[in-house]
Amino acid sequence: MEQPLLSVSDLYIKFSLRGRVLTAIRGASLDLYAGETLAIVGESGSGKTVLTKSFVGMLDANGWVDAGFIRFAGQDLAKYRGDGQWRTIRGKKIAMVFQDPMTALNPLRTVGLQIKETVELHTPLRGMAAKNRAIELLAQVGIAQPEQRYHQYPHEFSGGMRQRVVIAIAMSCSPQILICDEPTTALDVTIQAQILDLIRQLQAEYNLTVIYITHDLGVVANVASRVAVMYAGEIVECGQSREIFYNAQHPYTWALLSSLPQLGIKGQPLFSIQGTPPNLFAEIKGDAYAPRNPYALEIDFVKRPPCFQVSPTHYARTWLLDERAPRIDPPEAIKHLRAKFVEGAACR
Amino acid sequence: MRPRRSGRVIALSPSGRPDSNNRERGIYIRSHIGALPTYILKKSLGALITVFFVITVVFLLMRLMPIEGYFGDDFDRLAPVQREAILQKMGLLDPWYIQLSNFYQDLARGDLGTSIIFRPNVPVAEIIAPKVPYSLKFGLAAMALSLSLGLLLGIFQAREKGKWPDALGTSYVIFINAVPAAVYFLFIQLYLTQLSGLPILYSSARPLSWILPAVSMSLGGIAGYAMWIRRFMVDELNKDYIKLARAKGLSNTRVMFSHVLRNAFVPMVQHLPTTLLMTIAGSIFIESLYSIPGMGGLLIDAISRQDNPLVQALVLIYSTIGVFGLFIGDILMAITDPRIKLEKAGGAR
Repeated sequence: MEQPLLSVSDLYIKFSLRGRVLTAIRGASLDLYAGETLAIVGESGSGKTVLTKSFVGMLDANGWVDAGFIRFAGQDLAKYRGDGQWRTIRGKKIAMVFQDPMTALNPLRTVGLQIKETVELHTPLRGMAAKNRAIELLAQVGIAQPEQRYHQYPHEFSGGMRQRVVIAIAMSCSPQILICDEPTTALDVTIQAQILDLIRQLQAEYNLTVIYITHDLGVVANVASRVAVMYAGEIVECGQSREIFYNAQHPYTWALLSSLPQLGIKGQPLFSIQGTPPNLFAEIKGDAYAPRNPYALEIDFVKRPPCFQVSPTHYARTWLLDERAPRIDPPEAIKHLRAKFVEGAACR
Repeated sequence: MRPRRSGRVIALSPSGRPDSNNRERGIYIRSHIGALPTYILKKSLGALITVFFVITVVFLLMRLMPIEGYFGDDFDRLAPVQREAILQKMGLLDPWYIQLSNFYQDLARGDLGTSIIFRPNVPVAEIIAPKVPYSLKFGLAAMALSLSLGLLLGIFQAREKGKWPDALGTSYVIFINAVPAAVYFLFIQLYLTQLSGLPILYSSARPLSWILPAVSMSLGGIAGYAMWIRRFMVDELNKDYIKLARAKGLSNTRVMFSHVLRNAFVPMVQHLPTTLLMTIAGSIFIESLYSIPGMGGLLIDAISRQDNPLVQALVLIYSTIGVFGLFIGDILMAITDPRIKLEKAGGAR
């Protein structure tokens, strides 16, 4: 098997909040391979953003990596301290695109200057050369009349255009990894597809590795080659896109998939996951999902499930995969999923 | 600006294909700075109207003052008939609209009137003119001190937000704003003069005596500037674009100075000119406290001795400076913030 580009193992990230310690990431392990598109899914507060922020050292000031490794380019990023060290990675090798393009750009500087600033920071280009590179980048992300647009301010751009500019900034240093934190959530549907297309196109062009953070499984199905499902700060299931959609093993993944509106049956209420995510301040015993899990076994409340390998590329953290566990059939909706997706692909 | 119409003109031009590239480029670049002269014209018109109103109100208010102010110490010695005659001679018994129109005409000729009591029959302008350099000198010194120290303190506080330097700076700001100025000036005069050995009273021959007034004058300014710049910087720091600027790989210092500080200045520039001009125009309180022969001290004198024309002229000068400061602030704001629509009148808010 090829070497992962970035490898997270048994990572713990904690935050101190008003004197109390919150564990946002508990023992997450994840490999990222060059050139792939990995989607991290999970509900709000499951730690998707925190996990990826730790790859670029952008945790909030009250947060820290407590244990574990983040191996990247022969270094352990978990040991990085201070801005100077991080700046060899941040924006240079790993770039980020944020959720809301409306507020992500400095409103008082022209779009061009904001791109040029990054170009000058990461490449030897200066002055006119940097400006030309910035214009080139604008053209590359699909902005018409880049020379004129270079001199405009963010408020003269639409939301989709601004997201293109943010992507241009991220691409200005030809990073190895691009982290897209819900890049299309704030955009309307037609623009969403355009932005996803753009990222796909850049990915092919630059041999980029892309991490999508999203809770839109539609986006995941559209773009991701691999999917990692997060719950309460750990990765409960990870596998190739097909494996997650058609052969999910973790009850939480089942629940997520069952809540897809596309799977709803007309006239019946949509499926929703009961209960609330666990309190991250408290110590979690056993499987974090157990209290909400209708298939929970007794051991789920006692002992944290290990990683069970389903296939060489697919693993899940659930006791259901233990050989001693009773056989449980996934919900009906999940079984229909395969048929639905095959159907959908045929329509397209 | 009506782009639709200009579009039609181009479409109808005989050359055939409109050069949309150039046209759009023109609109894009000129959309911001191009409309500036019109904007300035509109704003200056507004400022002139404001000054006109202020002048009128000041004049009318002065007519409500007791008439003793026109006689000084002679009031009791004069018979009612004599008083009447003097008032008549000064034109004060004319109907108010005639007085007002005379006042406007005098003003238009640059005549601010003559002093009655302070220095009888001397034109007010001649009394004020020699005071200006003193106020200007101390004002500039205090301005330089308060602006540089205030901004430094505020920037430092914003950088160290939530830590002890921030708390220390904030307590200074609260102290200056909460305690009446007279109290801490008194303490400066009582103790600081002894401790430092610096002279209390101003004397043009002793440069050492210039230090305490300048420092006292800047105390409030330092607190004000520090408070505002800290507040605006913290506002900016919490915005999303700062997150992106850091994710780009910019160093903290660079983010602080080229993004946060620059943007924090925008809300400040609107009020900066007014406060600066007012500092230069002299502090009413400090000048009388340290017996500096400046404009501020003069206003106190003029009011306490009821020299009405002199008060009128000084209030006029101060209010005009204030309006002028706001006018400059509006223009600076329009230049620094591209989001302000210059085309619409009053769009600067």
